[in-house]
Amino acid sequence: MRKKPWLYSAPALLLILIVVVFPIGYTAYISLTNMNLYHWADFRVIGLSNYARALFKFDSGFLGALFTTLLWTVVNMALQLFCGFWIALGLNAKGLRLRRLYKTLLMLPWAMPAYVSILLWRVGIFNTEFGLLNQWLTALGLPKYSILDNTVTAFLACLALNLWMALPFMIATIDGALQSVDASLYESASLDGAGFFQKVRFITVPGIRAIIAPAAVMTTFITFKQFDIVYLLTQQKGYMTGANLNTVITYAYQNAFVSNNYGLSSAVSMLLFVLIILFSLATNRSLREE
Amino acid sequence: MDKNRKKRTLGILRLTVLNGAFLLLCLVALVPVLYALTLSFSGSGAALSSRFSFWPTQPTLENYRAILFDEPFLLWFRNSVILSVGTVFFSMLCAVPAAYAFSRWRFAGRRFTLKLLLVLNAFPQILSMFALFRVLKTIGLLNTHGGLILIYAGSMCVFALWNMKGYFDTIPVEIEEASRIDGASDRQMILRIVLPLAKPAIVVTCVMVLITVWNEYLFATTFLLDSTSYSLAGGLYQLQSNDYSRSWPLFSAAAVLVSLPILAVFFKIQKYMVSGLTAGGVKG
Repeated sequence: MRKKPWLYSAPALLLILIVVVFPIGYTAYISLTNMNLYHWADFRVIGLSNYARALFKFDSGFLGALFTTLLWTVVNMALQLFCGFWIALGLNAKGLRLRRLYKTLLMLPWAMPAYVSILLWRVGIFNTEFGLLNQWLTALGLPKYSILDNTVTAFLACLALNLWMALPFMIATIDGALQSVDASLYESASLDGAGFFQKVRFITVPGIRAIIAPAAVMTTFITFKQFDIVYLLTQQKGYMTGANLNTVITYAYQNAFVSNNYGLSSAVSMLLFVLIILFSLATNRSLREE
Repeated sequence: MDKNRKKRTLGILRLTVLNGAFLLLCLVALVPVLYALTLSFSGSGAALSSRFSFWPTQPTLENYRAILFDEPFLLWFRNSVILSVGTVFFSMLCAVPAAYAFSRWRFAGRRFTLKLLLVLNAFPQILSMFALFRVLKTIGLLNTHGGLILIYAGSMCVFALWNMKGYFDTIPVEIEEASRIDGASDRQMILRIVLPLAKPAIVVTCVMVLITVWNEYLFATTFLLDSTSYSLAGGLYQLQSNDYSRSWPLFSAAAVLVSLPILAVFFKIQKYMVSGLTAGGVKG
């Protein structure tokens, strides 16, 4: 009986050990070496200097990327929660007959394969020749503008795209949570003379908070780890736009696959891993206490 | 009387505004998709015309013919099917028995292993991509579908294990105890009782794994270097990075063809998506 559970889970654990655990360990090892393009085979262990370079040398770009990522995560989460909440509330308005139609249409961006959506936006919306944005600018008599070439506008473009892709999940989650709020609470509040905003503030928000929290935490992680949008919009191999936009993940990727600083890239990866573990332990605890 | 009418007019006004807002919102959500759809049915000049409309001016199926027969789209499609089906098969084959063990039996190391799996799930696989690249290169699995399936199966296995464990937890033990009293062996019980009961959860988990792999592009474009082994992601990536004016309408047709099956599947299992995605992450 003591061996049986391990027997059942051996294939899964073995697979995970080989494909997930071992590469993390290997990354940790590489982070301690000077492996790069010139030292592909004859690298040697150099201690913690890659970590020192990432953390204390400002021109390494890691701290800047970390700041960008934090800004990206905070702004995204604020926008998603805000927009998602009001849209979901609107969907639940009394007498809205086309509710189901709206709900289905709004879910479409979620269902699309992410890379297809991003590439569609890259050419169909942001491109200077084929992009709708520039076609509309031209129609208004304004000069063309390559949005993805400038760091700030590229950040805004990524933000808009991420909102487009991520909102459906948020709307669906909040919409689901809204169903669980006791309707009789609203009625008695109305009798007491509470207005719309008071009801939202004192009944709706407290009522759904505990249900939204896990989904919000999960989305925060996903947003923090977002790679595809920034990479596919601004840093495709051979098609780098002029924008200097890096999140921590694209930073690690660039250092591994573009500038071939394998040691530095691995050090950054390990730092991020520790950061993510600490963050997930902290949120797990606070979620349980709630 | 007058007050009532005023209230009703106000209500109608409110609904009109709300409907207007939602129509606008849906339009914004659909614009990129509609644009691609229109373009995919348009002649090659349409992409550059500055007059944009949501209806193709000269409807044609030329782009679809070209993408299906002039480009190796069917080969990419076949490769994507191999990758997704292979991954679903291997990850579920490993994950389901493990999930059952972790759900049913209490044993030393169980809690620790589950916690560890959660932590591993938080680690973005991109960060160990270079290590994986080096390992695959060393053992000669780079540029093979087998190597990529192995990587996908490993990461999907963590997800599938948690997802299936969550479901097994909801099947009452009493059902199994009853069958054991009837003299069923372990194997019989799992094959005849547990798996049929878990069938809906297995199907949903399979579909989620399938969608994830179908939509994955980064590993697919980094680890498959040879254009004959490209999956749809690699092919589409190549289409959009080439000269736009020729391939942008082609790309839009390809995008429609890639998305349609996923859209169909997604809306079929949509109600499981919200609960399924959050369940694995939080339940301890």
